[in-house]
Parts: sequence; C-alpha cells; structure tokens
Amino acid sequence: MNISPTEAEEALAAIQTMMKKTRRAISSSGAYLFLIVWGVVWLLGFLGAQFLPQYIAVYTWMVLDILGGILSAIIGIRMNRGVRSPSSSSSGKRIAIFWMLLFLYCVASIAVSWPADGKQLAMFIILFVMVGWLAMGLLLSFTSIWPAVIITALALVGYFLLPGIFNLWMAILGGGGMIVLGLYIRSRW
Amino acid sequence: MAKLNETIHQPVRLRIMAALVTLGPNEEVDFTYLRDLLEVTDGNLGAHLRKLEEAGYIAVNKAFVERKPHTFVATTAAGRKVFQEHVAALESILKSK
Repeated sequence: MNISPTEAEEALAAIQTMMKKTRRAISSSGAYLFLIVWGVVWLLGFLGAQFLPQYIAVYTWMVLDILGGILSAIIGIRMNRGVRSPSSSSSGKRIAIFWMLLFLYCVASIAVSWPADGKQLAMFIILFVMVGWLAMGLLLSFTSIWPAVIITALALVGYFLLPGIFNLWMAILGGGGMIVLGLYIRSRW
Repeated sequence: MAKLNETIHQPVRLRIMAALVTLGPNEEVDFTYLRDLLEVTDGNLGAHLRKLEEAGYIAVNKAFVERKPHTFVATTAAGRKVFQEHVAALESILKSK
C-alpha cells in the first residue's frame, strides 16, 4: 500500500483530531451538568444572602445545598456510562468518599473557628469546595483546575476588597461564571 | 520499517481506532457513545466494527446493563500494536517528504 505525503498528513491530522475529541468527551461528559447545577445553587444562594433577611437566606442555602447534593449524586451515578472499566466503579466510590470526608472536614473547620459571620462561612465553604474541585481536576483532567483557581481568586478579591457586595459579587461571577462555563463546555462537546 | 495497514487506513476505521486507543487498556466504550462521538450511523459503524473485529483489532462484548442490552467495544493488544505501527508508517512518509 502506497500513499502520498499529503494523504499521510491528512490521516495523521484525522487521528489527532479524533484522539483530542475522545479525551475531551470523556473528561467533560456530565461535568458541565455539575457546573450548571452548582452555578444555579450559588447564584440563588448568594442572591438570597444579599437581598433576603438573614434567617430566610440561611434556610434558602440549606434547601439549595440539599437539592444540589441530590442532583450531583444522580449526575455522578449516571455520568460516563459510555465508557466502562473494571476500575471505574471503585474510582467512583473513592470520589464519593473523598467528597463526604471533605464535607466533614469543612464542618469541623467551621466549628473550630466559630463564631464566624456569614461572609466567613461562605468563604470557608467556597475554599473547601475549590480544594475538592482542584483535587478532581488533578486526578481526572488537568485543564479543569483553572476555573477553580479563577473562582478562588475572585472570591478572595470580593471578600477582602468588596465586602459590601460580596454576596452579589459571588452570585454573578461565581454562580453565573459556573453556569456560563457549563453551557460553554456543553456547546463545545 | 513500520508498514501501513490497509484495514485501518480506511477513514472511518482510522477514526474508530484513534478513539479506542485513547481509552485505557482495560476500558471499553458503548456502541451508541462511539456512534455519537464519530457522528456516523448505526449501520455504518456496525459494518466497520465487523471488519476490525474480523481482523482481530477490536473485541466486541455484549452485556446487560440495568436489564438493557448494550454492546461494548475495545481494542485488543494486537489492535493497539498495529495502530501504533500504522501511525509510525504515516510519520515516516511525512519525514521522507
């Protein structure tokens, strides 16, 4: 079998494109749904914290977090069904245990640092969630760590430099940013 | 010197193999997932998978997932080796340009 250099170049380009598309599909399949779900939770939760009386805002956050957790569990169970391996079910269990432990460490840290005001509580939760995101990014897809780094930086800027509009800042840039990123990943795949 | 492989060089089969070698050695992909990834029809994909299976480059495994029949596809060790040789042959053609 003989082919020209041009044909060889085209074949190699087709291989590269397909490999890139497959890697992207595996790493992003379902991930955009997590971003949209938690983007909506953050958007509504932080808007509530900015504009609603404190006791209503606290209950709003609790309800939204529970809903977000349930939806995340459903998405986690259903995602990546297209690819299977002997290790995938044990990896899924380890990831679920990691998030549960991270949640417990977050609660413990908040309890140790108590009393904390609303903004400090929000920052604790944001920082722990971002640590979890970074860990998942380093494990599953290195490029996905950058949104977590950017959201952390935005949260710190809002916390230290814009305390008066911190909740609004996080609703729009944190929650809105996650929704936009989720939709962008969805449209790209 | 690495040789070009006529079975793999067909454009759809080349893309199938490229997608499958991107997975881990113990991973397999669902037929419908692969079909969507390649943007081909069921019949077209099925025909090319049969050719690759006959050549021993892929393994097709039928299984029930939550009581529904699914077809999973994976590369064999021979398939990975042949694909790598094919890529090496393509690269050597480019270098000799």
